[in-house]
Amino acid sequence: MTQSTIDHYRNQFAAFERNGARSAPAWVHDLRRKALERFAETGFPTTALEDWKYTNVAPIARTEFRRPASSGDVTKDFLEQHRMPGTAQHLVVFVDGRFSPELSSVGTLPDGTFVGGLAAALSSDDATVKASLSQVLPFELNPFAALNTAFLYDGLCVRVPAGTSVIEPVHALFVSTAPVASAVTHLRNLVVADEGASVTVLMSYLSASEGAHFTNAVTEVLARSGSAVEVVKMQRENGASYHVENVRAHQYAGSMVHLFSLALGAAIARNDMSVIIDGEAAECNLNGLYIASGEQLLDHHTFMHHIHPNCPSHELFKGILTDSARAVFNGKVYVEPEAQKTDSKQTNRNLLLSDTAVVDTKPELEIFADDVKCTHGAAVGGLNEAHAFYLKSRGIPAEATRTMLTVGFAAEATEKVRHTALRRHVDAAVVEHLKSKLGSTNVPDIVHGT
Amino acid sequence: MIEIKNLHANVNGREILKGIDLTVKAGEVHAIMGPNGSGKSTLAQVLAGHPAYQVTQGSVLLDGKDLLDMEPEERSHAGLFLAFQYPVEIPGVSNSYFLKAGLNEIRKARGEEELDSMQFLKLLKEKMKLVEMEASFANRPVNEGFSGGEKKRNEILQMAVLEPKLAILDETDSGLDIDALKIVAEGVNKLRSPKNAAIVVTHYQRLLNYIVPDFVHVLVNGRIVKSGGKELALELEANGYDTIKEELQQTA
Repeated sequence: MTQSTIDHYRNQFAAFERNGARSAPAWVHDLRRKALERFAETGFPTTALEDWKYTNVAPIARTEFRRPASSGDVTKDFLEQHRMPGTAQHLVVFVDGRFSPELSSVGTLPDGTFVGGLAAALSSDDATVKASLSQVLPFELNPFAALNTAFLYDGLCVRVPAGTSVIEPVHALFVSTAPVASAVTHLRNLVVADEGASVTVLMSYLSASEGAHFTNAVTEVLARSGSAVEVVKMQRENGASYHVENVRAHQYAGSMVHLFSLALGAAIARNDMSVIIDGEAAECNLNGLYIASGEQLLDHHTFMHHIHPNCPSHELFKGILTDSARAVFNGKVYVEPEAQKTDSKQTNRNLLLSDTAVVDTKPELEIFADDVKCTHGAAVGGLNEAHAFYLKSRGIPAEATRTMLTVGFAAEATEKVRHTALRRHVDAAVVEHLKSKLGSTNVPDIVHGT
Repeated sequence: MIEIKNLHANVNGREILKGIDLTVKAGEVHAIMGPNGSGKSTLAQVLAGHPAYQVTQGSVLLDGKDLLDMEPEERSHAGLFLAFQYPVEIPGVSNSYFLKAGLNEIRKARGEEELDSMQFLKLLKEKMKLVEMEASFANRPVNEGFSGGEKKRNEILQMAVLEPKLAILDETDSGLDIDALKIVAEGVNKLRSPKNAAIVVTHYQRLLNYIVPDFVHVLVNGRIVKSGGKELALELEANGYDTIKEELQQTA
């Protein structure tokens, strides 16, 4: 880390504070300044750190990224292509890091519910936002989170009051148009479900051009007692871009959290996903699928923190790799001494479709309670020979066999998406992606068992 | 139809088949019976081309063509079908997509036109009735979450759709209750014709009450040690395989 990198972001920060960021309340300014100082201390992580051993972010560190002064254009066609077809949804569109009221269409919401941009919520000094922001994910945890917090400005904000269900899913489209060279967006998302509330959120990260850009997002999810929250992330940014996101959920007693990450795009994508299970009988589901091709590097670091007794947690991450792609999976499960009767299962399975693809997979279990059921498993391999033989014995040629088994491998991950419309959308994205990456137009639509 | 001569096969360097000779003509049903570990299922898998088995000696001709030289998919195109003892589950891919893909490859190989979706669905519906399968199974992932009986029924459905010349049923009766067994057997019987043939591999005589064979062969330790008519199956049921094993020891 050179001083010039720090100076670059200090200069950017000074300009940022002078411009549109001014309207935020004083506590936001304080938060940003503290986060900048933190980032100035740590700089970008290097491979010397255990958490970053397999993912070298030097290409991000050596580029002088800038917040674009204004947003580029996104066509209605582009939005039509990416919204969930045939399903009512609260569409919240962000272009180059800013909420676009013209492109968004939020339907009627229950009383007291807010779905929109964080900037608007901040300028109205929303009490829930003030009480929650940067509480779920302290920026000290991760240099990218610190940098995000320093430039915290806008992003998805969802607030659902106690006992309220938001029926239609919220769909946030984060579109980057790369309006300037080396454009960065520090999207800051906050989802708060109060006691007994329920909400489903889809976050689509997209590029509307082929220009390189950097998305450095933070998503905080607060699931109060008895709430049910599903957050599904689809990352489909262009292959020249960098994507980093820190997602953290904090859940309380009796709540149910489903998180899913679909990673398809970007040159380097790093996802840190963690769940703090902070109440009895809370259920946590953390799943994902990554499909890496070319020279892509897709990294998931997950962390599940069991603090109280009687909490189940389920984690399945699957990866498909071709060409010279690389993937990293690091799954940490920490069970506190008080967290008896924890039932935790973690699985990471990787399908290598070429000899030059590489996966680094590492489960990390730290268990301090004695009456728990914790399992983990990691596997890396090729197509299942018995399955391939079965298909071939029905006359299906080798290439179609490979395609069908790859789709099947992916389907076992996507079936973890709970909301039907979201699952269909994720499935369709996977099929479209596999069509282009496997060089086969004949990719079957994914079906799921009951 | 099929001519198997002096067939030897290994798995992991261990010889399982030690010289099988068997000829099946069009219109015939042959049963292959034998104790556990005798090589019955290995024979079925070797004929279908399972990559885990190495053929070390012998020849197999299907309608005069060298079967052993073909890939598993080519054997299917040539008219061979294996109903698996343990059908595998293929998540994500619908039963109908899977079957249509297979059927159209086979039709291409036969020089017939591929079926479009409408034509295929009509055929599939017909065949599903034959094995008394609910229509919803068409859109479910292949065998995923199917009960044992449903999986076996799905095997017979596939056979009905693909219309092979030679069907090999590998322990299709295992894990079936009597009702499911009857449905499966009826499905097989309806498909019997003077133009095709079947090899029924089974441990028990029970299935042969419903699929009546023309010939019964007893496989012990990788060799056919006794052949006869359908009455041989009853004899085995009454006396067990031990009598045959003893006979063998006396002649040895």
